Amino acid sequence: MLKLDSISKSFFQKLALDDVSLSINEGEIFGLLGPNGAGKTTLIRVINRIIEQDKGTIRFKGELLNDKHLSRIGYLPEERGLYRTMQVYEHILFLGRLRGMSKADVRTNYNYWAEKFGMENWEKKRIEELSKGMAQKVQFVSTVLHQPDLLILDEPFSGFDPINIELIQQELIEMKAKGKTILLSSHNMKSVEEICDRVALIHQSKKILEGSVSAIRDERKTGNYAVRFRGSMIAFVNALWTGFELIDKEILGEDRFVAHVKMRGENNFQDLLQTLLGQIQIEAAWEVLPSMQEVFIQEVNQ
Amino acid sequence: MQNTWIISMRELKERLRSNSFWAMAIIGPILVLVVTYLLFALGGKHKTHWNILVTDPSGIMQNKMMASEDASVSYSFADNYLEIEEFAKGNRFQKFDAMLEVNEKVFSNKVAFLFYREKPSTKMETKIQYQFEKRLEEIMVGQFTELSIADFRKIKQPIQVGFRNVYDPKDEASDLSGWVGLFFGGVILLFIFLFGMTILRSISKEKSNRIVEVLLASVKPRQLMLGKITGIGLSAIIQFILWVVLIGVGLYFMRANLFPDLLDASKMDVVQMTEAMRNQTLQQQMMSAREYNDFVDLVFERINYGSMLTYFVLFFIAGYLFYGTFFAALGAVSGSESDGQQFVIPLIFLLILALYGGYYAMENPASELTTWFSFIPFTAPAVCMVKLSQGYPEGQGYLLIVSFFILLLSSVLVLSIATRLYKNGILQFGHRLGIRQLIKWSSKK
Repeated sequence: MLKLDSISKSFFQKLALDDVSLSINEGEIFGLLGPNGAGKTTLIRVINRIIEQDKGTIRFKGELLNDKHLSRIGYLPEERGLYRTMQVYEHILFLGRLRGMSKADVRTNYNYWAEKFGMENWEKKRIEELSKGMAQKVQFVSTVLHQPDLLILDEPFSGFDPINIELIQQELIEMKAKGKTILLSSHNMKSVEEICDRVALIHQSKKILEGSVSAIRDERKTGNYAVRFRGSMIAFVNALWTGFELIDKEILGEDRFVAHVKMRGENNFQDLLQTLLGQIQIEAAWEVLPSMQEVFIQEVNQ
Repeated sequence: MQNTWIISMRELKERLRSNSFWAMAIIGPILVLVVTYLLFALGGKHKTHWNILVTDPSGIMQNKMMASEDASVSYSFADNYLEIEEFAKGNRFQKFDAMLEVNEKVFSNKVAFLFYREKPSTKMETKIQYQFEKRLEEIMVGQFTELSIADFRKIKQPIQVGFRNVYDPKDEASDLSGWVGLFFGGVILLFIFLFGMTILRSISKEKSNRIVEVLLASVKPRQLMLGKITGIGLSAIIQFILWVVLIGVGLYFMRANLFPDLLDASKMDVVQMTEAMRNQTLQQQMMSAREYNDFVDLVFERINYGSMLTYFVLFFIAGYLFYGTFFAALGAVSGSESDGQQFVIPLIFLLILALYGGYYAMENPASELTTWFSFIPFTAPAVCMVKLSQGYPEGQGYLLIVSFFILLLSSVLVLSIATRLYKNGILQFGHRLGIRQLIKWSSKK
């Protein structure tokens, strides 16, 4: 869908992107991660042709990216604003027309989203009359109104309230199901874990990591397991003996815990379960993979 | 192109919706009308009786000016030619306030000159012009045609009286007509400043509320900037049309109700003049400007509104584009709204310089500096309006067109630099703007 090849961009001697290559497949949700100032927004602006790269090429569905592709892309920037004195529908019509839509198409698509987001009676409202959450919906609708094939969202979850975050996550998943491609940059690692298929990590202008979320987490697993159980913590520790090491615990209730355990020697998950059986009442047990947050911190600090 | 249009229409709608636009559309014309009224009212407090010597070596006037006596003006006749200096200094002529020079050329070039000691009021100028014109009509009809006076008036060409200071007879520039030019030039500069500031504020606002990045994903920076300048420019033109209509209605009302005596001054001429002007080519219009906008009955009869307004619009558009792009670039490069305002000061200085240029041109129409000012894009809008109102010397009318094209070409050039500044600055936030940055941004493609 989108293929970036050796993209470099500098602003007056300051290198913002250094030889970044990426490949985003059709129908996937791709997360662009990185600390502040890493170059994510610059990369997103380059893809949107807001700024031009110094070196490298971008291909959109196999063709060199050009202005005519812009009507197939939807973009919600991190710093997003609306004209405060305009009415909701007027504003959406304005942005839709700029994306090359006809007035009739804007009307049809707006009606669809208005119904979906409960915006039916907002048409004549001025933007300044809307609450922040309502304005966020208008921003999202104006981004997806022209049914783009590629949706680019820069920090879509920052500034959104939890209800809207949930709403937008659901929409993104639905859009993915319809075959749309989504590129999002985010600091919200929980959301990234939940909805992204693949991610790339940009640090100090360079891409340092790219891959599927599950593979990245799997590669970094440390052999830790978690067990949720009922019973006594002392009994649990006694049962572990020397083959396993308790590294962390969470108290869920008077006799209910989650214990994090590290294997010693040749012991495996099977051995752990056998050791514990009969000593405590196991409710659940699973392998603990590093969270994307941990992967992120680890990679950036390396 | 379509996106530029969509942007400009949005901008226009927003302007038309704002209260300040309508406040300006009403307050501006009212101020102009009040000032005009005051000028008329004060202009009437001049000398109440005028004693005029008509030198008429050919005996054209037959020692007569009016059938009936007029309390405010009396004419004496001399049948010999009189040097201006003699009239100015000779003791026996001191009782006369002015000398009207009439000779046979008046039939062919329709021009006569009145040399005054003290400038007559506009009302008095109108009266003298009117009485002289009526008398000449009688004579011409009697001597040359079989027509009735009424029929003759339908076909005749208006007579022009050149009013000159007897102590400075060579000064061909009419200060009054120059003021008209300066007024028009001043309005251009005022509009450029007001609407330029609107561009700057509007762009700063788009920057600060961050809608700009959403827009830039669909349109090019150049389109965005042009759309904004066009939309605000269209609102300025609408504002100007409102001014013209309101001032026009106001002047009409004033003429009919407050100064009915001005009505005498051959209403027919106006119809004839405007009719003629409508059919004229550009070149001829410039000639008419030269012929008609001298002196008398300035506001109602002698300003060639056709050509003044035409050139006003042309110079306004070019001047607005020229300055507007500076304002737009400034709005785009500023890190905060106060930043932009600080850098507006040099622009305001340039506009004041332009206004001064207009004043200088009015005072020194023949000066070389005036000619330079009329070609320099910064000062051209005001200076050219003054020069136009004073009238370009015969055969030099093309200089106005040259000034216009220099201004227009400069706007295009400035636009390309401004586009770079706009492009490089529009997505930069929160910085402190410095000269070095401006140079850097304007040099980077």
